[in-house]
Amino acid sequence: MRCGRSGCLAGRPRSPMIDTEENPFARLRRTGFTSERTAVFEYVRPNTVEDACRALAEGGGGARILAGGTDLLVEIRNRLRMPNLLIDIKRVPVLNVVETDSSGTLSIGAAVSLGCVMETAAIRDRYPGLAQAAGSIATYQLRNRATVAGNLCNASPAADMAPILLALSARLLARSPAGEREIPMTQFFTGVKQTCLTADEMVCRVIVPPHSEGLRTAFVKQQRIRGHDLAIVNAAGAYDPGSGVLCVAIGSCAPTPVLLEPVDVHESRGTDAADTVIDRAGAATAPISDVRASAEYRRAVLPVLLTRLLDELLGEEGRR
Amino acid sequence: MTYAIRLTVNGHVETADVPASMTLLELLRERLHLTGTKEGCGIGECGACTVLLDGKPVTSCLVLAVEVDGCTVETIEGEASDGELSTLQQAFVDGGAIQCGFCTPGMIMSARALLRRNPDPSDKEIVEAIAGNLCRCTGYEAIVAAIRTAAERQRGTGGGSHD
Amino acid sequence: MTKRAAYVGAPVGREDAVDKVTGASRYTHDLAFPGMLHAAIGTSPHASARIVSVDTDEAERMPGVRVVLIGETLCYQLGLYMQDKCILARRVVRYQGEPVVAVAADTLRQAEDACRAVPITYEPMDGVFDPRVAMDYGAPLVHPDLHTYAHMDGVFFPKPHSNIAHHQKVRKGDFDAAWAAAAVTLKSAFYNPPVQHVPMETHATIAQAMPNKRVELWTSSQSPYTVRHLMSVAFGLPHASVRVHVPSVGGGFGGKAGLNLEPLAYVLSKAAGGRPVKVVATREQEFNTLPSRQGLHSTIGIGAAEDGRIVAFKATYVWDAGAYADYGVNIGRAAAYSGAGPYAIDNCWIDSYVVYTNKVFGTAYRGFGHLEVLWGVERAMDQMARKLGLDPVAFRRKNLLRPGTTTITGERVTEGHGSPEQCVDAAADAIEWGTTVQPTSPGRVRGKGIAALHKAPAMPTFTSCAAVIKLDEDGAADVLISGVDYGQGTYTVLRQIAADELGIPIEKVHVTWECDTAFSPYDWQTVASRFAYMGGNAVIEAAADCLRQIRNVAAQALSADVSEIECENETAFVRGEPVRSIAYADLALGYTYRNGNSIGGPVIGHGRFIATGLTHLDPNTGQGLPAQYWTYGAQAVEIEVDTGTGEIEIVRIATAIDAGKVLNPKLCVGQVVGGVLQGLGSALWEGFSFDSNGRLLNPSFVDYKIPTAKDVPTETKQILLENPQPGGPYGARGVAEHPMISVPSAIGNALYDALGIEFDTLPLTRERVLLALRAAGTGKHKR
Repeated sequence: MRCGRSGCLAGRPRSPMIDTEENPFARLRRTGFTSERTAVFEYVRPNTVEDACRALAEGGGGARILAGGTDLLVEIRNRLRMPNLLIDIKRVPVLNVVETDSSGTLSIGAAVSLGCVMETAAIRDRYPGLAQAAGSIATYQLRNRATVAGNLCNASPAADMAPILLALSARLLARSPAGEREIPMTQFFTGVKQTCLTADEMVCRVIVPPHSEGLRTAFVKQQRIRGHDLAIVNAAGAYDPGSGVLCVAIGSCAPTPVLLEPVDVHESRGTDAADTVIDRAGAATAPISDVRASAEYRRAVLPVLLTRLLDELLGEEGRR
Repeated sequence: MTYAIRLTVNGHVETADVPASMTLLELLRERLHLTGTKEGCGIGECGACTVLLDGKPVTSCLVLAVEVDGCTVETIEGEASDGELSTLQQAFVDGGAIQCGFCTPGMIMSARALLRRNPDPSDKEIVEAIAGNLCRCTGYEAIVAAIRTAAERQRGTGGGSHD
Repeated sequence: MTKRAAYVGAPVGREDAVDKVTGASRYTHDLAFPGMLHAAIGTSPHASARIVSVDTDEAERMPGVRVVLIGETLCYQLGLYMQDKCILARRVVRYQGEPVVAVAADTLRQAEDACRAVPITYEPMDGVFDPRVAMDYGAPLVHPDLHTYAHMDGVFFPKPHSNIAHHQKVRKGDFDAAWAAAAVTLKSAFYNPPVQHVPMETHATIAQAMPNKRVELWTSSQSPYTVRHLMSVAFGLPHASVRVHVPSVGGGFGGKAGLNLEPLAYVLSKAAGGRPVKVVATREQEFNTLPSRQGLHSTIGIGAAEDGRIVAFKATYVWDAGAYADYGVNIGRAAAYSGAGPYAIDNCWIDSYVVYTNKVFGTAYRGFGHLEVLWGVERAMDQMARKLGLDPVAFRRKNLLRPGTTTITGERVTEGHGSPEQCVDAAADAIEWGTTVQPTSPGRVRGKGIAALHKAPAMPTFTSCAAVIKLDEDGAADVLISGVDYGQGTYTVLRQIAADELGIPIEKVHVTWECDTAFSPYDWQTVASRFAYMGGNAVIEAAADCLRQIRNVAAQALSADVSEIECENETAFVRGEPVRSIAYADLALGYTYRNGNSIGGPVIGHGRFIATGLTHLDPNTGQGLPAQYWTYGAQAVEIEVDTGTGEIEIVRIATAIDAGKVLNPKLCVGQVVGGVLQGLGSALWEGFSFDSNGRLLNPSFVDYKIPTAKDVPTETKQILLENPQPGGPYGARGVAEHPMISVPSAIGNALYDALGIEFDTLPLTRERVLLALRAAGTGKHKR
């Protein structure tokens, strides 16, 4: 299923692209810039993944992928990041695709917005937790721009898309001049705002493997206010009533989002499952105090959120 | 280095040569002198800069002008038609939904997009649509009521020509 | 002539709404002039430091840069009540965020880049961040030269060689004896952090230095004449040489009441050879550089008799003024004379200290200290009620001011003051006080709380307002006034009053929207909930003046006696003989007889109002008459607490205010709804966080949260009582600030009802509530 921009520039003058007579990268490397100044960067808008990859590689670490821009442009404004080239991937048709193939694998292109995810019936019906997570982020306006891939690549410990995708055993398809590779979500985050992507690698799509028909998913997020906010604590779960396997992942309580060891609910029974999850969560997380919340509050509220998450996922089973 | 862009703003084709770092908000206010769209924070948190980009509300402070080459932008200046207020605008005026007015253009744009995609929104849906537009003056109740009224009026008349 | 009221009291719509809803309104942010330069400001990273060196050479050479200014070259001392501030920091910085360098350049980007290219060496010094510590002997001095500063003599009393900018006292009766004799006593401490106004339009000013030492300003301000006056004083310019325009203003809430970016814009323009210079605060600067609402530490003691009467009240208010006194000293003063709440108390002892610290400084904020004070007072009142075994409403009814009682400054209360008791009853009734409802689900707990409120305009004894009304050729009327309508809607109210007074249909009555000190007559400031009151009275007088002129001419033209002339419906006519009439349009510019002789002339009426009967407060006892009128109210709230997360849901909140006369119900309700939500912000989410070095940690919307449409209470009620205010236009009182004032205290009281836990610190965040519940061990649910 296609979703997103028209990308229709036929007949209209195009912006100068990467192939001008002087290589803009060479010029920029020569003139240089300081981190003090207002951002000066160039912009390219490739139409293919190949072109995007090449631009990223030639950027030599100074280039960044521009999808929604809702994190990147703020960082540039605040002078936390000073790229010299932005590569706008929003008009690469294949990156705007959301589709489920015959095997049941869900594929979300790197340029697919959170708004699109929320509006895609297939996702809402099959993985409501995924739609919930997308809908919890920021505001309606920002969700029309921000992307799933961007949320992950920004790699905040509080990334709202991370817990559900961890719980769903998702993978990321990444591409570089060296080729393609699939990165399991469990390997993607390597630290606070750090991923295992190399400087010349870009995410092309998020892949959610097939799950059984009866799979239940849910997402919970603790905020300071009902209006838009970052997560103080967030968590997501995927539960297959058939097999009894429950996967829970937690965010904002460690340097990276954390996937807990799966729990066999049939074996441990409803309420025990909740206790197991809470125990594992306590062991796997190390909340800190920051301007948003204290570690104490995070530790106090995490079990509450997990209990509510499991209530939603396990339903009657959870109250046995 | 500048980039030649071409876009449609409120039905008019506009061209400009812009640096990559210029935001859509700057393009609208500084180059096109459409100052109805406001800057409230510059980081997409307050919604004062909301415009419709290819029909969808976005915070124009976090959109680069180069990104909208070939796109359609609608701002508050395009809401009224031939000097006649739209149903939505009239409902805001009638309903006391405006105090200092600084958030109003962004609110109207968010509401405009809502009523296009959902002509019969519940209050909850109205709130979700404008939750990204901060207002410090009104307490929001009159704004929600005005949007509800506009929706009713539009449904009642079968919608205006430009609604 | 009987006063018709076709418009006053009706929900007339705003004339400015159309411009606002089409984007046509011009805010200072939107203005541009030929040759205009853009300014950027560089600020201090340190809360307290000596400026060792500043090198502007590189910045001055950068492309587009026209002016680079630093504090050393600007020897002007500024201040509303205390002249303690420079335009740019000179020799020392006193708060993290303080402006240190400013650049005017062709583009904003060029100016910002140049600001960042000015290397500044600082030598950090010890700072002081807690005003209670700052009061102590030996604390680092924020203003070692305090004793040399000019200040408003006889009104404010800075303590030399200390951090105390002002100390206000109230001494009524014999507190010590009454306390000793009290049957029941309690003492409690409370805290409010600093918060920010968060107007949607940040501060912005354009200045153009004109030849011959004149300056023209366009500024987002609540007080054009105060801007003019302070510029005049600061720069030694005659008042007529300073011209201030105020276009549309995108919210103020007190933050734009004083002098802010105007001096900087002026000196930049002067240095740029007279080119207009525009200075606009970024949102981060709005939080971190522009002023805030002072924090407050309160200690409150209440002594009561067995029967529940309060016999003694003591309060110590320690205001966190931040680095500069600005309005802070006046807030300290106003809070003192209001500082015991709307209660009849014979023995009262209040000390209100305004104390410098090395943080962003405080200024006027809606409520002017009253939300902060009543957080403590109304919480303490509930605590005393419980200690006495009395219902909080019943306890308040025993003690509220009523006709015959006196305030703590010795003012005698009359019927004309309005009724705090009716407000308390109305608010309590609106949430069905005394009944309980089951919470919506397990793990949630309900509670109800109530708090009273009061405020008088905190203004000088000579505060005045003037209005001019001129008639147009077609008999329409234009009102010129320089109070500012920055969203509260006062211009609409003044239109209504003018239309009724003049007898002109409201479609033909306009209040000239933008103020200009060259044309608009004087108004003190648009603060303090006094513009509708004083502006309304001025407009009434101006209208009467117009009618006098109209009747004089009409009498001659109609060959009648002046006393026989009636004015109604744009027409002057002889009483009992409506055929003998003249339309206003026919004499608005004078009347011409058939033969050509002309009489009269352009009809221009003027009116004014000056505060009447106010006195200075005795410096030792605080006794006197500071209040033109009091507005009383009460707020009652029902909450439901999620004991798992600490989230407070506002199930319903009722606000009752004795408005005297509701001049425009739609606007009045708008003020209440908006004010309650802003109060909710202070109650549940808002507050500055500083690190141990005084650096502000939440200078943006990411971590400073204000209520969104999702945060609106489930149900809100507005009850507007009308016990007329003598002297008020149509009996009206000011109501603009009051809806904020007791939201936090009502919620704090409701939290005790729900959880059995005393909360003394704002904001009542989910974290604060949950951790308190855990500490209390599930918390007692008192019923």
